[in-house]
Amino acid sequence: MCSYSVVGKGISRVDVMEKATGAAQYTFDIRLPGMLYGKVLRSPYAHARIVHIDTSRAEHLKGVKALICGRDIPPRGLFHLGDQTLLATDKVRFVGEPVAAVAATDRDTADEALDLIEVDYEELPPLFDPEEAMAEGALLIHEKLGEYHRLMPWLHPIPGTNICHLTKLRRGDVEAGFREAYRVYENRFTTSMVQHCSLEPHVAVAAVGATGDITLYASTQSPFLVRERLSHVFQIPISKMRVIVPYVGGGFGAKSAVTTVEPIAVGLALKAQAPVKLQLDRSEEFTSTVVRHPTVINLKTGVSRDGKLLASKAKVIWDTGAYADDGPFVARWGGLTASGPYQIENVWNDSCCVYTNKAVAGAFRGFGCSQITWAHESQMDIIARDLGIDPLEIRLKNAVEEGATAAWGEKLHSVGLKASLRAAAEAIGWGKKLPPGTGMGIACMHKFTVALMSSAMVKVNDDGRVEVFKGSIEMGQGNNTIVTQIASEVIGVPVEQISVPEIDTRFSPYNGGTFGSRDTFMVGNAVRLAAEDARRQLLKAAAEMLKVPFEELRCEGGRVFSSENPAEGVYLAEIAYYSNASPAGPIIGKSGYSLKGIPFRGIPLDPETGQSERPAACWTYAAQAAEVTVDKDTGTVRILKLVAAHDVGRAINPTNCEQQIEGALVMGIGTTLYEELGLDAGRIVNPSFADYKVPRASDVPELVPIIIEAPHRDGPFGAKGVGEPGLAPTAAAIGNAICATTSVRLKDLPITPEKIFSEMKEREA
Amino acid sequence: MKAKHIELVVNEKAYDMTVAVNRTLLEVLREDLNLTGTKFSCEDGECGACTVLLDGKVVRSCLTLAVDVRGRKVTTIDGLSQNGELHPLQAAFIEHGAIQCGFCTPGMILSAKALLDRHPHPTEEEVRTAIDGNICRCTGYTRIVKAILVASQKIPMVS
Ligand code: FES
Ligand code: FES
Repeated sequence: MCSYSVVGKGISRVDVMEKATGAAQYTFDIRLPGMLYGKVLRSPYAHARIVHIDTSRAEHLKGVKALICGRDIPPRGLFHLGDQTLLATDKVRFVGEPVAAVAATDRDTADEALDLIEVDYEELPPLFDPEEAMAEGALLIHEKLGEYHRLMPWLHPIPGTNICHLTKLRRGDVEAGFREAYRVYENRFTTSMVQHCSLEPHVAVAAVGATGDITLYASTQSPFLVRERLSHVFQIPISKMRVIVPYVGGGFGAKSAVTTVEPIAVGLALKAQAPVKLQLDRSEEFTSTVVRHPTVINLKTGVSRDGKLLASKAKVIWDTGAYADDGPFVARWGGLTASGPYQIENVWNDSCCVYTNKAVAGAFRGFGCSQITWAHESQMDIIARDLGIDPLEIRLKNAVEEGATAAWGEKLHSVGLKASLRAAAEAIGWGKKLPPGTGMGIACMHKFTVALMSSAMVKVNDDGRVEVFKGSIEMGQGNNTIVTQIASEVIGVPVEQISVPEIDTRFSPYNGGTFGSRDTFMVGNAVRLAAEDARRQLLKAAAEMLKVPFEELRCEGGRVFSSENPAEGVYLAEIAYYSNASPAGPIIGKSGYSLKGIPFRGIPLDPETGQSERPAACWTYAAQAAEVTVDKDTGTVRILKLVAAHDVGRAINPTNCEQQIEGALVMGIGTTLYEELGLDAGRIVNPSFADYKVPRASDVPELVPIIIEAPHRDGPFGAKGVGEPGLAPTAAAIGNAICATTSVRLKDLPITPEKIFSEMKEREA
Repeated sequence: MKAKHIELVVNEKAYDMTVAVNRTLLEVLREDLNLTGTKFSCEDGECGACTVLLDGKVVRSCLTLAVDVRGRKVTTIDGLSQNGELHPLQAAFIEHGAIQCGFCTPGMILSAKALLDRHPHPTEEEVRTAIDGNICRCTGYTRIVKAILVASQKIPMVS
């Protein structure tokens, strides 16, 4: 293995000094002169027709500078399916949907104005159950589903129903597989509605310039998508729509699509002709921003006597709430992956994204993978137990490996699954004798990395400092550190000599978005290539300066020198200075990146069979194991230890990988054991940190992150992302451990003490 | 809204100001004094992001009225490093990878400081309890706990 000087080292993150001293700026901290405060009036009904809105009293309130409602806004769709406008127009479809918005000189006045807006609604019968919503003859949440403008050709809404997308996967002959099987297992699994709970809420500050150009500060994961969608909605050229993203205080998917926050801020700023800040409060975070899809997953699996998987059939229902948002994408990936990371000849999946009158579900760390993994890994455990096969063995027996053909037809590469399974098993002490009341569980997963495209620019300044411009967001995942290490390695400058400016679409090169675990792979590659370009330019200029052949030059420690005579050299600052005066101009390396010969969204899936040679940039794999005890009198679960082995291709920064895994594991504990948004007639009943419990420091057991490296031939230095997978196998690992000690098999998340207790009682009876 | 005159000391600097009686310490720090290091995330006392020290004790600045802190000493993250030198807790948070998005960090560090100031050598369990009111959604807490314990080990034992 070749060795690198910075890649592979767990260096301290590059942004932590600012963050430790409170100096780091977030959108949340932005204040502009003359700035107004925005507030949103939201629907109290899950489903209702808007008959009339009277805004006259609110508009006359002193201090109110702008008011907008459905009749004032451009009627263009916000996102993929074009089914949602920035404020409701004719109907409201969930409790919390924006109906009107005001901008006022202070927050209290804005609040007061909301109270003065009168809306007449005509209530409509709501639909809350996705299975009812799919039934024939169900009332329609979107009557005009067939007329919406589809941004992606593959979106597959079924007009006249509540199904906004369906992905099908067909491989082999699943019925024949079942006939051949020694046993067939059918189970139904469900998952709850959960919230991302980033500590920085959704916030945007919009300002209108003298020539109608717009500057928007936003806490978003996707500045280029926001720019493109806002330019479409408001019909402003892209070059006049500038999006700036300072540090983001957590995203986890909730900020990966365009939300209603950015366009409402812009709409208000345009109306008021003054800067407007729109920041959600915590209860709005819980009730109006996207949630993780509640799901119903029906699995049918046929197995040979010795535990070989012969056929797998999945019907997955994604309860996407009132609008499609990212739901169709989630359903698409879920449809590909529902049979798990196993070699199975016969697979049949239907993955259905369904409207209901509930909070909109969208991207959430894992992008559907967590729900799918909960189901197939619980199912694997059920099978193993029934057949009397060790749960680790049955997974190893069926696990995909290098060169295997996936259910969607891709020949797989960079598959660290078996190594992850073995490492997790070893770290937890799989098979060791456990004290009574203690159980162990194991689970594994596969997760795609979204491709799209990325670009980067690497500039050498006159003082020799190197700036890396890229379009990916630093939201706590460590991307600024990763690109710093890559640039440092490629050019040969110390990391201390590199800075990463904040994202500003006016200067930053394009990026598809910070989601889908893609930035290390895609942006990492763009930065690698841009840095190579910058290095080439540096050496070329140095060759002229030193009169030494290009091939003889090396760059190390921020200095270019002759390898024959190292004393003969020039510093980067000198080269930059020289270059500014030469026809070559400033040293600016640049590159774009997408997968060679592959459309930037990946090779499309066959619409009937879901087959594609390469739908994703790469796939990551992981295995996790849990050791738990369960209190027999209360059903309370105590996790003693969680181990997580993740195939990251190659760790650019191992500490950073471990940080991502640990954080995700703890999110996984929350979503497994207690996180759930409760609903009453479509209204979320626990919209606060007091009533929606997230893990606290004392809830956290011993965590053991383990890095597995199965380098990817296209990854920068072999790397793949690890932001999302960390919580996907956690639920099943814990659930399987609970079953190991109590024999109670729970199929519905979260696994609360009440559920365990009542199941235990039932078994006793 | 009625306003009152108050004096207070923030990060060892004295201020004399008139504030509306309904304004919180959080608002006054961030908006009037432009000390934006202190964050907020719930304004409900539940997340700890707005934690500051009042005469050395942990308070939620979102629940504290500015007029109620008249004459008292407030410490925020913005004033923790002295003459460019990091507080040992800040240094430990950096060294042990306890910071990801950084939004919880100011509150977390101040909760830890209050703990170590009154109890310089806590057990791991005591550390976890002391920061239980501070939500972090990014780190999983493990490295935060480690950083606090390491910082505490640097405090000399008094016999
Ligand atoms: S903002 Fe004060 S406790 Fe959350
Ligand atoms: S580091 Fe992001 S919330 Fe703690």
